[in-house]
Amino acid sequence: MTLESSAVKLVGDGGDPSGATASPPGARPPDETRPRSSPWRLRLSLWDTKLSPYLYVSPFFLLFALVGMFPLLYTAYVSVHEWGLLGGQGDFIGLENYARVVEDRYFWNALRNTVSIFVLSSIPQVVIALVLAGLLDTQLRASTLWRMSVLIPFVVAPAAVALIFGNVFGDRYGLVNEALQGIGLEPIRWHVDTLASHLAIASMVNWRWTGYNALIFLAAMQAVPRELYESAAIDGAGRVRQFLSVTLPMIRPTLLFVVIMSTIGGLQIFAEPRLFDTQGLGGSDRQYQTLTMYLWELGWRVRDLGMASAVAWLLFLIIIVFALVNLAVSRRVGSLGGRR
Amino acid sequence: MGALMALTLTMTAAACGGDADDAGADGKIKLTVATFNEFGYEDLIEEYNAMQDDVVVEQKKAGTANEHQDNLYTKLAAGSGLSDIEAIEVDWLAALMQESDAFVDLSDSEVEGRWLDWKAEAATTDDGALIGYGTDIGPEGICYRSDLFKKAGMPTDREEVAKMFTTWDAYFDAGRDFTKAVPDVAWYDASGATAQAMINQVEYSFEDADDNVIAADNPEVKDIFDTVTSLADEGLSTKLVQWSEDWTASFQNDGFATMACPGWMLGVIEGNADGVKGWDIANAFPGGGGNWGGSYLTVPKQGEHQEEAMALANWLTAPEQQVKAFEAKGTFPSQPAALEDPVLTGATNAFFNDAPTGQILAERAEAVPFIPHKGPRFADINTAFQQAIQRVDEGKESADEAWQSFLADVERLG
Amino acid sequence: MNRRPGFLVYGLLLAFVLGSCAPLYWSFLVGSHSRDVLTKRVPPLLPGGHFFENAQRAFDAVPFWKALGNSLLVSTTVATSVVFFSTLAGYAFAKLAFRGRTPLLVFVVATLAVPTQLGVIPLFIVMAKLGWVGSMWALIVPGMVTAFGVFFMRQYLVDAVPDELIEAARVDGCSMLRTFWTVAVPAARPAAAILWLFTFMATWTDFFWPLIVLPASNPTVQIALQQLQSGYYVDYSLVLAGAAVSTVPLLLLFVLTGRQLVAGIMQGAVKG
Repeated sequence: MTLESSAVKLVGDGGDPSGATASPPGARPPDETRPRSSPWRLRLSLWDTKLSPYLYVSPFFLLFALVGMFPLLYTAYVSVHEWGLLGGQGDFIGLENYARVVEDRYFWNALRNTVSIFVLSSIPQVVIALVLAGLLDTQLRASTLWRMSVLIPFVVAPAAVALIFGNVFGDRYGLVNEALQGIGLEPIRWHVDTLASHLAIASMVNWRWTGYNALIFLAAMQAVPRELYESAAIDGAGRVRQFLSVTLPMIRPTLLFVVIMSTIGGLQIFAEPRLFDTQGLGGSDRQYQTLTMYLWELGWRVRDLGMASAVAWLLFLIIIVFALVNLAVSRRVGSLGGRR
Repeated sequence: MGALMALTLTMTAAACGGDADDAGADGKIKLTVATFNEFGYEDLIEEYNAMQDDVVVEQKKAGTANEHQDNLYTKLAAGSGLSDIEAIEVDWLAALMQESDAFVDLSDSEVEGRWLDWKAEAATTDDGALIGYGTDIGPEGICYRSDLFKKAGMPTDREEVAKMFTTWDAYFDAGRDFTKAVPDVAWYDASGATAQAMINQVEYSFEDADDNVIAADNPEVKDIFDTVTSLADEGLSTKLVQWSEDWTASFQNDGFATMACPGWMLGVIEGNADGVKGWDIANAFPGGGGNWGGSYLTVPKQGEHQEEAMALANWLTAPEQQVKAFEAKGTFPSQPAALEDPVLTGATNAFFNDAPTGQILAERAEAVPFIPHKGPRFADINTAFQQAIQRVDEGKESADEAWQSFLADVERLG
Repeated sequence: MNRRPGFLVYGLLLAFVLGSCAPLYWSFLVGSHSRDVLTKRVPPLLPGGHFFENAQRAFDAVPFWKALGNSLLVSTTVATSVVFFSTLAGYAFAKLAFRGRTPLLVFVVATLAVPTQLGVIPLFIVMAKLGWVGSMWALIVPGMVTAFGVFFMRQYLVDAVPDELIEAARVDGCSMLRTFWTVAVPAARPAAAILWLFTFMATWTDFFWPLIVLPASNPTVQIALQQLQSGYYVDYSLVLAGAAVSTVPLLLLFVLTGRQLVAGIMQGAVKG
């Protein structure tokens, strides 16, 4: 389908008086073929143009005002008061909750853990997802099967995931350690050592989300015009070079999207580390307690809702900072080797 | 446009699927009972529904105690959404006693003396309000592997074994003998469990009678800490964490020879140790007696039918009904009248070598001298305590370092 | 890339797919044996014969059919709604000029950065005031349009819909809505299909909010599964059999939407 014929298809669809001509868009002089005499129609069209965007985005904002705004304001309000989960509202204490959080060593501990797990999970995830998408972007046989099967991890129920990975990464009787001992290596203390626990948790996260991100990349890759690859091939570029110089720059918006979403999601990792041990506190030394787990502990175990809310907003700030940094970095990377 | 229509249709269908009505179609009052784990109430609820016409009862079961607790706390905070009867675990009592205003005072002359003293006392506020009716308890005996005992040249008969377990020192000495004879098997399943049992026998462990935190200065607490950590050094502990996958696997791998055994643990052992022969239970507990777990039924003031809910709770926790629950799911009754019921006294457990478990646990229940005092900070300090012990087990810190960290945690919580 | 992929490509894909599917297979495996199998030293590799038996027990223990129905209803509604509203909003952010576009977009993305754990309390209060506690409305309405969806469609549509086509349509007198419908929607198909799939799956696997808001008699699949875990001793073969059964509708969905996805993608590819 060429550009011209698709224009015909679009414009020719029912009801439009002059739309049946086949001349390419842009080549048509304005105001020539259609009488735009009626001011009423003109005004309607003007309102249409001005208001439509607001109309289109309003469902999100309306719903957000209902179910999103109130929780946000509530959390902010709670964070500046003494507030117990069961006891309810106390005195207004300004930023004291925030100060208490910043003075708490477990906050910094959780921050360190969060960043560590984030780095260990996001970077491999994005890279592998890109490669995977590149592999799937070829003319495979049974392509649907391949594409859908990378999503399978996403449908396994969390209860099952915890059980399975708990058995895989068991310190004493786990599968991985049995295999390691089988080939003569020392077992790794997955639940005890800090870095090992981060690796295990990052594996769980990556297992679940890589296929997901790969499909997002794939959709974007499939929108890349094939002629670009052909001309690159003619210029002598091999497949890898084509990937770096054609594919990556062309999917830049999607790449930025995935980077931002991975950052936002990766700094909020909650389910996997929580299920990694029975207490839900992140290990005997809180060695894998993330910021959201710390938040949860403050809210539901220590039951200090004020402090928990302060953590929520601090985490928000941290995420914004990281997202901006990652955005800047990715913009740079995305333009390497590209003509964009 | 077709998509929009479909959307509207499904949304209307969804609206009609709502289930928020309080009165049933026939004008009966609907009561919900929220429980967790297994209370054994399924048949009882059917019986209650059949035997009267004013009320229809429905049970809402959460999978784990933690989920139920999170749900309960969330709805207490939100101010609405609780069921008419909410089951609670004894460990949460301390926190909820702070909010006793949120629960109906269930005192009633009719139920006076229904429960074991220490059970009812724990749910009574300083002003004398009873906020929970006791359901079950967890009196502890010691479960042991008679086959492993035999291997170590120790007695295997229940009565003989019981003699070895009367005090903690005797229990640990037996453990030392055992590990010398059978070196690659630990004595008990987890350091944390032993520590827990010992803490539960101290009347004022982490907090004193006025709820001041005394954990840092209480010599009894330090004593227990030192004992448990040095025992782990001696090899008596598996150094595993209870309920972890490794711990579950250790049942099948001869990980340990004894463990503290409340009534509800019997089912757990039977499940985890499927195929293992030689489990038995001794009618003894070091230090006399101990209780682990147990629940209550409360009636939140949020509910709209408090009187009916109270009547239902009264009925459910009557000795006769608790015995039926015991028959269904093994929940051990907290009512002395139930403890004398032939169903209980005659109950045996095939997996545990046909031990008269009903009788054993009844005697253990009566041997519990008191319920330890648990103030508002108890659960958090206890968690820190357990974590400190675990750190020593895992080799992350030495015993001294772990104690210092524990003290820092106590200060942070204080 | 017209050349057929070679062995290396297939090999790498196979390795990845095996790793992805192994846990699901394992959960089906355990669900097909009796309950002691988990703790054995050497795990079994082949399914036992008990799968249907365990699955039947799962169906008896909890209102599984009702749960499946509820989950299907909620997930479908939410996914369709999200795709519809996100495409609309995403198109506006991507292609239409209006005052405040950038700040509003930034706001949308920023809302994703606030942790949601604490939000259950105020959200529950709102739902209680509206009287929706216990009904599917409480699950559907909060999820009807998501910041993720809006952001995702916006990023995709920025490049996928050529400005020239929009101009052409406008010049020819199409209204904004018509332009949207005839230009943007077809171009958005591949991304819309993916968004629908992802939203469906996310709603299907959502757990804590349904737990808070629904009664036990009217659960979703995840709640029903969790009820299977009742008790101090968890019968994992029962739980995993239930979990395996609960993935069947999703797998069916994959088969159905998979074809859509491929078709949509191919159309998008040729359009260029």
